[in-house]
Amino acid sequence: MKNLIYGRLNTTGRVLFLLSAALLIASLFFPWWYMNLVAPQYPEGLPMTVYANKIGGRIDIINNLNHYIGMKEIQEEDFPELKYMTYGVSLLAFLAVLTALLRRNWLGLLTAGLGSAGGALGIYRLWYWLHKYGTELDPQAAMKIPPFTPPMIGTNQLANFTTYTGFGLGGYLLGIGILLMVLSLWRFRQWDEKSSSSASLPSSS
Amino acid sequence: MEKRSFSKIVLALAGLLVGLVLAVFITGRVNPSASQEGASFNFSASNTGVADEVVEAALKTYVPPGKLDEYYLFASGGHSGNVFVYGVPSMRRIRTIPVFTKESSVGYGWTAETKEMLGNFTWGDVHHPALSETNGEYDGRWLFVNDNANSRVARIDLDSFTTKQILGPIPNIYGPHGAVFLTPNSEYFMMASRFAGPIPFGKYAPIEKFKDEYYCVLAAIAIDPENGNMSLAWEALLPPWSYDLSDAGKLVSDGWMFLTSYNTEEAYTLLEVNASQRERDYIVAMNWKMLEKAVQEGKYKEIGGAKVIDPRDVPGSTYLIPCAKSPHGVDVSPDGKYIIGNGKLSPTVTVFSFEKFMECIENKDFQGEERGFPIVNYDKVRVAEVEVGLGPLHTQFDDQGYAYTSLFVESAVAKWSLTDFKVVDKVQVHYCPGHLCAAEGDTVSPDGKYLVALNKLAKDKFLSVGPSHPESMQLVDLTSPKMKVLFDNPVDPEPHYAQMIKADKIKTFEVYPKDEQLEGAVYKKEDARVERNGNRVNVYMMSYRSRYYPDVVEVNEGDHVTWYLTNTDFDEDITHGFAICLYDINFEVQPGQTEKIEFVADKPGVYPFYCTNFCSALHQEMQGFLIVKPKDQQ
Repeated sequence: MKNLIYGRLNTTGRVLFLLSAALLIASLFFPWWYMNLVAPQYPEGLPMTVYANKIGGRIDIINNLNHYIGMKEIQEEDFPELKYMTYGVSLLAFLAVLTALLRRNWLGLLTAGLGSAGGALGIYRLWYWLHKYGTELDPQAAMKIPPFTPPMIGTNQLANFTTYTGFGLGGYLLGIGILLMVLSLWRFRQWDEKSSSSASLPSSS
Repeated sequence: MEKRSFSKIVLALAGLLVGLVLAVFITGRVNPSASQEGASFNFSASNTGVADEVVEAALKTYVPPGKLDEYYLFASGGHSGNVFVYGVPSMRRIRTIPVFTKESSVGYGWTAETKEMLGNFTWGDVHHPALSETNGEYDGRWLFVNDNANSRVARIDLDSFTTKQILGPIPNIYGPHGAVFLTPNSEYFMMASRFAGPIPFGKYAPIEKFKDEYYCVLAAIAIDPENGNMSLAWEALLPPWSYDLSDAGKLVSDGWMFLTSYNTEEAYTLLEVNASQRERDYIVAMNWKMLEKAVQEGKYKEIGGAKVIDPRDVPGSTYLIPCAKSPHGVDVSPDGKYIIGNGKLSPTVTVFSFEKFMECIENKDFQGEERGFPIVNYDKVRVAEVEVGLGPLHTQFDDQGYAYTSLFVESAVAKWSLTDFKVVDKVQVHYCPGHLCAAEGDTVSPDGKYLVALNKLAKDKFLSVGPSHPESMQLVDLTSPKMKVLFDNPVDPEPHYAQMIKADKIKTFEVYPKDEQLEGAVYKKEDARVERNGNRVNVYMMSYRSRYYPDVVEVNEGDHVTWYLTNTDFDEDITHGFAICLYDINFEVQPGQTEKIEFVADKPGVYPFYCTNFCSALHQEMQGFLIVKPKDQQ
């Protein structure tokens, strides 16, 4: 336990943290999550893509169609996290770089912990929004449908629309980034001063 | 042991069978024509009595669902005032573009913009569509058409297939039949009068003064290279003959314009007889670059608001080339070297050499002059008189050095060579072809491949619809040594001319872009509103599947109403209509588009409005009320 907090990362561990920081920053430029609605009259699909800071895709058309079943209009203003996620991820990446520089285990733990907590929160929020949009339907809507929660990854059928959902490249980059931190903390630490002097070896495990 | 070898044999046979099926499938994929041959063979083996070659022809025009045609064909709709768009080779009509006539299916002629464009005319006589050109090639940007009845021209934008500008009536020109024919870089298109008359419009001159006080003109309409905007540049005065068709020179002959004429007899009654007396009329050759320069130098008079130049004041600009007899079409060959006059009342096309024409001018080799214009020496300038058949009207070209001439009287198309000037093939068409249209057939590089004969009569070819028979277009295959008619297509009155352009040259847009600055546009329901200013009422309405905001609009009897409607479905193919019952108002808004109508609410009462263009499952609910409060209750 003491080692866990006071230990230091070895070279591989530091590289992994740097890589993790790079992946986190890269994730900001790719969609984290997507939804694609396909119907006979939309064979090309109506995509919605969620980025760290915006919602892309053909939201206006999806909203237009959603009003038939009384679904609330999806608009960026309703997602407060879109305003903060870029900063959060940037901060995390900054901490990861700092960890790589200082090699402190405790800093690495803090970073990975924040990352994991953030990731978990993100997944919960995604489920929350999917649930909210799918179940809080306007009772006055033209078409009455049983409330539903689309899966985070998978397909869902609603009237003539098949909805495909899943994580995007950005989402995977983010996930791998956090996993790399955990991996680094788990496997690539130096246990004492002795092994530290022989740190030129690629791995201490 | 025996059992095992038995199953081996069964497996081997099954494997062979699968292999065979795969092989047939793959052969079909790799070499589709082979499988087509096979299909036609199988088909004729049935008892339908359809000949092999008919089945083959059908397969050549069949475009399977989901596949697209190779060419767009833009055909004039004659006195319907429309342009019809077909896909080639399927010959399916894809679209009707209203140009000079109201068309309620798209609300053309009810919106403020189109109403103003149509002016006080309710019809037009569309004759010759012309695609814009760059370096003598179609560029797919605009289509121009003339109105032979009311001396107007129109521009259709090919990014949206809608009429965007109507210019005219062009002053001083009665019946611009010799239009629209573009110069190779779309600097101008030329219009020549069919009918002589006193100018400007409205001037009186007794018919007996025909020779002295009646004129024709050649009008040069300038085209803005950026936006296609048409404007009248200048006009040239011409003798009171009838100018039939025209064509611009290209490549070596660029800078010249050629016009056929009839009635050089200058008759003014019973033209059928009196205008058909001379053995030769003229092709009038005009150097438009010289005339343009002269106009810039100020050598013109203002007549009826036009800059009119007398070409006799610009020596060297205009010559007459004798051509037999009452020539109809004049067509310049793809290399620009030959000018081909189609004889109409003579069974020949006459081929003139541009090079020799220039030599005649240089050597002053003239055989006389008429009305002050030198007549070049016929024997020198002519290189061939090709006996094509009866009633040659128009000529188009392919990529192999052949010309195709329509024979009106003979109901046939003649194919002849531009190298030895001999007829090599003829195909019968039903009946009486006017214009022909070959794929990119009047550009500097025709495609060959297809030719469409635009026939004036289709007698007995289709199910009877009473005394007014449809006209017809026939698709002719040019890919084999013998021309073959592939398809008969009934069409609305009346195809005059058509142009065929490779489909991938046309780039359309599907949704109008959002533009917050656009007059009257509203993109949010919170912004939708009715504003009153005295007795003028502005309605800013938006629509999306399947609602209007606002859906109740109240005005006072006598109000002048300006009504904007924006379609906020920025979604391909989601068009909304808008009609006000009993108010004679109807139009449609395309995805993202804002349209405007204006009317005086002169009838009190309640008038439902509704979406006329089916838009969604709740289309029937897309409606509202215009309430016009009577004067005495205001």
